[in-house]
Amino acid sequence: MAGSTDIKNRIKGIQDTKKITNAMYLISSTKLRRAKKSMEDIEPYFYGMQSLMQRMMRHFPETEHPYLKTNDDRPESEMIHGFLVVTADKGLAGSYNINVLKETGKLMEKKASRLYVVGEAGRRFFDQRKIPIEENFTYTAQNPTRARARVITNTFLKDFEDGKIHDLTVVFTAMKNSLETETRVMKLMPLEKDLSVKDVPADVMREEFIIHPSPKEVLGAIIPSYVAGLVYSALVESYCCEQNSRMQAMSAANDSADEIVQELKIKYNRKRQAGITQEITEVSAGARSGRI
Amino acid sequence: MSKKTGALRIISPDGIFYDGRMLGVIMPSLDGQLEFLPCHEEMITVIITGELKYQTEDEKWHVAAVGGGVAETANNRCDIYVDFAERPEDIDKNRARAALERATEQMRQKKSIEEYKISQAALARALTRLRVADRDPF
Repeated sequence: MAGSTDIKNRIKGIQDTKKITNAMYLISSTKLRRAKKSMEDIEPYFYGMQSLMQRMMRHFPETEHPYLKTNDDRPESEMIHGFLVVTADKGLAGSYNINVLKETGKLMEKKASRLYVVGEAGRRFFDQRKIPIEENFTYTAQNPTRARARVITNTFLKDFEDGKIHDLTVVFTAMKNSLETETRVMKLMPLEKDLSVKDVPADVMREEFIIHPSPKEVLGAIIPSYVAGLVYSALVESYCCEQNSRMQAMSAANDSADEIVQELKIKYNRKRQAGITQEITEVSAGARSGRI
Repeated sequence: MSKKTGALRIISPDGIFYDGRMLGVIMPSLDGQLEFLPCHEEMITVIITGELKYQTEDEKWHVAAVGGGVAETANNRCDIYVDFAERPEDIDKNRARAALERATEQMRQKKSIEEYKISQAALARALTRLRVADRDPF
């Protein structure tokens, strides 16, 4: 009965793998919950900053700031596009990484671009295809923190100021609803100047603000935090999606492991039964021949 | 007669630090301290890393270490957005002391302007934390 031990080994192997996928499922679900919590904590700050920013734009639309400069006067051939690509550190998360990378590939076609890649999976992908990415930009996608978002933001804000990039687009994954995820493309730099001017009717009485010390200084203080907030939310959102995708992938793996084990068990039992039947036949045949 | 109060919210990325009434709030601005009293004129101002004091309705002063940010007051509501906000009892003095040492060490080395500024900001944060941790408000 050589076949039945093989089957038994396979069943054991699959059950061991299932233990791992099951553990990964549980880990992802706790991580997802924690990431969602930190997302909720930052919300009041982020929305407040956003409305303050809008207010500033509304009251002082003429304020000059390097981050607000548009690229209208720059021909497309001279543009260097920056891309911030958010991927996971590892695979095993369904199509999570591939979707982001595919979208990035589509965007950067035939363009002078500079890539800022978050996550090991994305870095490996571009390395294999010999596409140069920004060096020294080695940030992990694990447990996104505000400090990391800050550092990431400072990196590309500096490149933006130095003219190494002329705009910046973030490619990340967001939750469409609690089950589905989708790849999103967000234009980050330069900042949109007319954020919400159109929403305000012309005859609305507006408070007059004293700006201390000057609109430019205030904007200078708000903008980095505001942009860092946007980057942070993109990181957290992606992280949530990564965990979500991994949960789904792992629960699918669990299900198919169950299915395979079920099939193998039936096979094994059949084989065992066949062996027993054969033995009985042999014994009874032997007994009969002895009687004669 | 009870004094006039204003609404005050201090918000950091870690959540809402304080949300309630106040009799006055003193914050570190670019050119020294600045106080908002209830019914202050509409104003937006920049805040730097330093100590922030606010007086609650029971006339007690509270102190907090805050990071840079913006303060806005309108219609007797004051919203303060800062990078971090910590109460004296929540400050980890050992960590702040270690950060202070690290920052002074880095400032002594010759580095790019950017790195110098980063260490300078770290130094300011550490000093503020240490100062606030040892302090009773008034």
